[in-house]
Amino acid sequence: MPDLAPVYSLLGMLPFDCLQLRFMQQALLALLLLTPLAAILGVHVVNCRMAFFSDAVGHSAFAGVALGLLFGLDPLLTMLLFGLMVGLSIMTMQQQHRLSADTAIGIIFSAVVALGLAVISQAEGAARDMQRFLLGDVLTINEHEIWILFALFVLGLIFQYVAYNRLLLISLNPVMAHTQGIRVRLWQYLFAALLSLVVMFAVRSVGVLLVTALLIVPAAAARNLTTSAGGLFWWALIVGLSSAITGLLLSAQAWLGTSSGATIILTACCWFAISLLWSARQNSRC
Amino acid sequence: MANPKHLPPAVVFDAVSVRYGRVSILDTVNALVPRGSNTVLVGPNGAGKTSLLLCLLRELPYRGNITLLPLPDGRQPRLAYVPQQMTLPLGLPLLVEEFILLNLGGRPLWFGRKAGEITSVKACLAMVDAQNLCKRRLSDLSGGELRRVLLAAALGRKPDILVLDEAEAGVDVRGEALFWEILNSTRQAYGFTQIMVSHNLSLTAHYATHVICLNKSVQVQGPPRNCLDAAQLYRLFGIPIHLYPEQCELEVPGCPECGAFSHAAHEHGTTLAPVIPVSLNHQVEDNYA
Repeated sequence: MPDLAPVYSLLGMLPFDCLQLRFMQQALLALLLLTPLAAILGVHVVNCRMAFFSDAVGHSAFAGVALGLLFGLDPLLTMLLFGLMVGLSIMTMQQQHRLSADTAIGIIFSAVVALGLAVISQAEGAARDMQRFLLGDVLTINEHEIWILFALFVLGLIFQYVAYNRLLLISLNPVMAHTQGIRVRLWQYLFAALLSLVVMFAVRSVGVLLVTALLIVPAAAARNLTTSAGGLFWWALIVGLSSAITGLLLSAQAWLGTSSGATIILTACCWFAISLLWSARQNSRC
Repeated sequence: MANPKHLPPAVVFDAVSVRYGRVSILDTVNALVPRGSNTVLVGPNGAGKTSLLLCLLRELPYRGNITLLPLPDGRQPRLAYVPQQMTLPLGLPLLVEEFILLNLGGRPLWFGRKAGEITSVKACLAMVDAQNLCKRRLSDLSGGELRRVLLAAALGRKPDILVLDEAEAGVDVRGEALFWEILNSTRQAYGFTQIMVSHNLSLTAHYATHVICLNKSVQVQGPPRNCLDAAQLYRLFGIPIHLYPEQCELEVPGCPECGAFSHAAHEHGTTLAPVIPVSLNHQVEDNYA
């Protein structure tokens, strides 16, 4: 794999002391790749009401890691594959068995959390892994994971170019979309697969408790800041990216010293509060 | 445009049946949709009208055959669909021009627009007399405006067969008449075949060129004058409906309470005109004999 040192040097030139440290440079780079991806996927998560879906997939990370430890495999690999399997299983249950979305998700959600707990209860030192799973830790992300994130970022951008309009039309009326030759189920499955992979990395960065926020808060704020579906994409991107950068830098300040994941989400929530005020002001003018 | 009578039909339904478990939704539907026609599916709720449209759109599994005949130039016909209602995701910011662009295809909405795309959008909206709605949010439109925008989006695809499922329902009388008029003039201008479900019998009698009366299976099909007579409508809906003045002389007793031909009498269990299944409807047929 090519050396990322020039990128780190570039990030190190930014006028922040904390960015002289390699792990901070790696964390920032990972967030620059992950948060835009999560924010623009979040646009469709909000439209298609898939927040609970993301939550369930996020909770499967624990079982994925536990299975990796149990079978002596790379936990990152088993976490990604298990998350992908869970996402696609939920979609299949909804499509094939005509279950309502929340029922299908609720069943799988319970199953994966129970499986994770059952496996980890047999292992020693589980409490430490549990905390890492709950809170995430973007500061320990390694170069190998950054490269996977980079591949996911490129894949996500291509997907958004091809699928943005299609997914929007599917969310409005699937029959109309199908009549136009859009393969509704194929695109729904592809979206679920990509979303599952992004959610897994989001768990790694901000923890399972905050993973849904990373997806939906930028998209929800963007809805208040724009009147068009094109603007929605760009505003979600701006809110996601700016929250990640600001949150990471703030968390590294000695006077604050908070968890990076939590600070990022709190920054995004501040954006949302501002967007609410902006929206209320615009509506009062009409 | 060539005379539709000399052309093969646009769609042929051949013994189409749909079942959900033990419940029969459609039973051996045999029907033709003439090319270039305005074909209206008429029937009571639960008659299978929407199901038949969904079969045509390949949205519902069925037994039998539905054939879309190739166009005179050999092309396969292009379909467009106008739904009865569209539920917008709550709070979704989406402009009318963006919605039309979604239906026309092309670049993603976040990638900006080409000048040609804007011209196409305006042309689509002009077809339904809605150019002024271009920059409005879809969620801010009235029911009538939204229906016209949905129609514009479908027409923008230059369909050979336009499928509408009660697309005008829920609009006031004036808005409904305007919708039918726009449909009629665009169909005549562009020559597409139109298949629609409607409950508005008087507008159907005026604008339809072909009617299929459906109640699980086809009861009768043909020109509206032949299909929408009082006897047939009584068999179909179980209430007296007179669309044509000469049929008003038929002796159907009014409601003993208000004197009107009111279907409310059925709901209150009075004896105006019992709703009888079509197969057992000899008494009703005798009344009209």
